[in-house]
Amino acid sequence: MAFKTRLLMALTLVSALLLGTGCATVQPWQRGLLADSCMVFDANNSAAYMTHWQESREGSAGGFGVQGGGCGCK
Amino acid sequence: MASACRAAGVAASKRGAAALIALAAVCLIAAASYDWAQNQLDVSFHAFQDSRGVTVLSPDANFAKDFTDRTAVKVRFGVDAISAASDSCARCHPDGANNGRVVASVNVTRKYGDSKVTLGGEFSRESFYTATTALASVSRDLNKSNTTVAGGFAYSFNQPQLHPDQTTESQHSVDAYGSVTQSWTRKTITQFGYELNQINGYQTNPFLRTSVNGVMTVGNSPDARTRHALSARLRQALPGETFLDADYRYYHDTWAIDSNTLSVGLSHHFGGSIVGGAAYRRYTQTAAYFYEPFYTGSPEYYTGDFRLFPFNSNSITGRLELTPKGGLMGMPAGTGLTLQYERYKSTTGFEAGIFTGGVRIPLK
Repeated sequence: MAFKTRLLMALTLVSALLLGTGCATVQPWQRGLLADSCMVFDANNSAAYMTHWQESREGSAGGFGVQGGGCGCK
Repeated sequence: MASACRAAGVAASKRGAAALIALAAVCLIAAASYDWAQNQLDVSFHAFQDSRGVTVLSPDANFAKDFTDRTAVKVRFGVDAISAASDSCARCHPDGANNGRVVASVNVTRKYGDSKVTLGGEFSRESFYTATTALASVSRDLNKSNTTVAGGFAYSFNQPQLHPDQTTESQHSVDAYGSVTQSWTRKTITQFGYELNQINGYQTNPFLRTSVNGVMTVGNSPDARTRHALSARLRQALPGETFLDADYRYYHDTWAIDSNTLSVGLSHHFGGSIVGGAAYRRYTQTAAYFYEPFYTGSPEYYTGDFRLFPFNSNSITGRLELTPKGGLMGMPAGTGLTLQYERYKSTTGFEAGIFTGGVRIPLK
């Protein structure tokens, strides 16, 4: 499948999700589980190190936030 | 002479490792004796060893301080000490080669109502590479904080040095990112992201060689590359204090590399002070359009860079977090110790083990 087709599908999916977000309302007092460290994206600093060394071995990068300038190991 | 050099190299490597361990110990002692304010400190120590004999020891420290209820600063300082010979270094340094990398970054975040603005920079310096990055990002909470829309932009000016030549090349990287994070229920949260990265300038690895008409030659890669990455992430609370995390990324670039990355993990709370977890990651990628096992004739582009080969990889990670009640080693209550080990294996024959130990200190 061409990349543009995949991108269009992804954008359509995200747009649909955005339109649907008005239906999802979790009240502040219901957010106990959502605040658990296991539910937080990139909660630990070792994730950044793992991403760094994986990108030094693989041809792809990114997808989870803006990047720094990399290193010579790449 | 060679054995003397090897002995000197090993001794230097051991001295470097000892210095790094001492640095980590000093950071821990300093952390234990600090007069805490509205601060947070994370000190980590990473040890990497792979099937080529490369060892990388990397202590790093992250410090966060809330200056006011609206303004926070994060400072990071890290060191990589690289010892033994990688496959590219071993060509000229069969007895081993040492390298070092220092990275420092500062980010300032300020809240404006439901929005946050972050400005920052990062500087990285090693023997044959320098990178300078400026970044800015904005996020906004919507729908009673159930939706967060975020965007970011970064510019990097990178300068690889063509060792053993003294020539310094230039590379410019522009990176833009957008994401939507959504809480669906009290147990489910997702995040969708898209990242666009444009790199212009020298992008050949100056240390990796390939066979061109039977002669091992440093590669020659195109000077422009556009990279796209789409990501989808899920965090789901399951019954019994168990949590599921699943991340997927689809990647495509103008060098014709397509990749799929899927990772799935489970975490579980064992009582109030122990969290254990395990994760599996699967990665597959296609080759760059100019990749060949060897080259004949007069190819415009050619590469010996293993990152541009077609391959798959699998990795398994185990993780343990300890947060003893009453604190740890004299540090404040809530201090946590993290131990993690990852085993990585790819179809190129590369294998690696990575150990991480870290202390997270929530402060007053």
